[in-house]
Amino acid sequence: MEERGWDSILLYGHAWRKECFRCLVNLNFTGPYAAACLTRSGDLTIAVSHPWDDEALSGIDATVTLEPDFAAAFARANPSAIAGMEFAEQHFVDACPRHPASATDHVEELRRVKTAEEIAILRRATALADRGYRHFAEVIEPGMREFELVAEVEAFLKENGAEHNFMLIASGGTEVVGMKPPTERVLQLGDAVTTELTPQVDGYYAQICRTLILGEPSAKQREAFAIFQEAQQAALAMLRPGVTAADAARAQNDVFRKYGYGEYTGSKYTRVRGHCLGLFPDETPHILEDVDYVFKKDMVIVAHPNTYLPLAGYMVYGDSLLITDTGVEVLNSTAKELFVKL
Amino acid sequence: MKRGLITWDRAELPRSVFDTRLANARAAMAAAGVPALLVYTDIWRANQGRFLTNFMPYWNRSLAVIPSEGAPVLLCGLSPRVYPWIESVTLFEEIRPASKLVPTLLKLCEERGWQALGVLDLARVPHEVHAPLAAAGLALKDVRLTTIDEAALAMHRRAAELARNILGDVLPAGVGITGHQFAGRLERLFRREGAEDLVILLSAGATAPLPATAAELPVAYSVSIAVEYRAHWARVTRAHAAPPALEAAFAAGGGVIENLSGPYPYELGSGPLTARHVEITHAGARLFHGDTCWQGVPL
Repeated sequence: MEERGWDSILLYGHAWRKECFRCLVNLNFTGPYAAACLTRSGDLTIAVSHPWDDEALSGIDATVTLEPDFAAAFARANPSAIAGMEFAEQHFVDACPRHPASATDHVEELRRVKTAEEIAILRRATALADRGYRHFAEVIEPGMREFELVAEVEAFLKENGAEHNFMLIASGGTEVVGMKPPTERVLQLGDAVTTELTPQVDGYYAQICRTLILGEPSAKQREAFAIFQEAQQAALAMLRPGVTAADAARAQNDVFRKYGYGEYTGSKYTRVRGHCLGLFPDETPHILEDVDYVFKKDMVIVAHPNTYLPLAGYMVYGDSLLITDTGVEVLNSTAKELFVKL
Repeated sequence: MKRGLITWDRAELPRSVFDTRLANARAAMAAAGVPALLVYTDIWRANQGRFLTNFMPYWNRSLAVIPSEGAPVLLCGLSPRVYPWIESVTLFEEIRPASKLVPTLLKLCEERGWQALGVLDLARVPHEVHAPLAAAGLALKDVRLTTIDEAALAMHRRAAELARNILGDVLPAGVGITGHQFAGRLERLFRREGAEDLVILLSAGATAPLPATAAELPVAYSVSIAVEYRAHWARVTRAHAAPPALEAAFAAGGGVIENLSGPYPYELGSGPLTARHVEITHAGARLFHGDTCWQGVPL
């Protein structure tokens, strides 16, 4: 704040994007909105939009108010800057007596390098992702519907303490070009079943991506998966502080190019080669060849060369990684292989 | 994100229901003198877009554009690789990729020669969409539409019945297990019945209902469920080992009222569709009871 001449920052969250608020007040709020206003002198005021959130914060060393009309919270705070301003409803921003600056990028950069406490939480989240995937692989069977499989995994994660989960799924063969929410499709022998599993523990998301074949994998499914393994290994081998997101994307994409599948590294067939993890499951920077962000020690990211290949359809493969002094530590302990359910 | 079943069952919501809703939207556009209506939609603020088109951007955001003439257009933040799925569960036949929403919208306006736009609940559009749109020189007009009709009410009723039935069966099983274990059990039951989303809050008697913890649930505990069934939320709160006085307190009226016809299931406010709950203290435990109500009466 001092560097930018701000006297206060309001950290805003709503039901979808809680990360700016939760980086200062780690409350998984129930109402639609919450905001914390921190002054340069260290005073903290918190506004919530539901009485049960108000009660949950009783005893905290801050002034807490319940604001049924949440624009009033913005008006009262009158902040110099807002983190999460982009997501805020326009009438909230308009309620500020002075025109606030956006602090979203600045706060996001502060959030990228994790503290020891945050890393410990992310290790627990990763361990739950591993256990969740083991459960996924145990319960899956031909004849299940995709949404029934997701129900089983969701139940397992919640039973074991997950607050929330980001999960995409797909099943089938070469016709599958990407993942989406679960459908009523019935799983069949021969299917490649992909999932991106991302449980949230104490606010923080960790991810695992794996591909499972129902029945004996075909030669093409094995050939395709070997390319994904090699691509992710290429990223693991070069990631360290000082490497850019572009470098990490290029290392993965070059493996696909080597095998003649370069066209499948573009946006027509894939999204990103990984991203940062934290209080939002899809934090920036995204790992793409045009992103020059330089990775730092103690960032936690996922590297996943997920894409469509004509060999066997869409496949996924990814692990959560902690950037260390000299390289990366793979946080996931799940076997780094093509899973098979016979 | 939404991890439940997002689908369009044409027997539940026939195409004719959406045709009527679009006709009403076009009447509102005509009254406002605008050639098209913009509907912002994200994972939570999806109710209006869903009401008109059945579209849900399960972890992202999009803009639905309803022209006064011609088919709706979706400006989509999701990958074109999921367009076939979107087309299978929505009205949309034209979907345009829009990683940058407003520039894509402005291009559409230019193509169609639109100088003005109606925007559903203009003041509630997020700043990052509102600010560049307001700066683009288009005349923006706030448009309001009701998102409740008989078909929607039937879906809310179905969601409420689902919650009442499951909670009626499962409440005894919560005693003596942890909040996390009980939440997991509820997730399995609701999602296997096709729930699209679920918010579970538990009270062990000492607090208001809050997200589940590893603490064991005692004999007297309460659970508050918000369940979304095919875009329609219902709220049901029940207590185990509740004395008759709890239901009597609810029947007497009053309590906390929340608006269920907006985007958020726990938003204070009133309206014809609400969630209402009451609280009593019995044998030292706080107990909660609530339900989804239409014009004040449980749906």
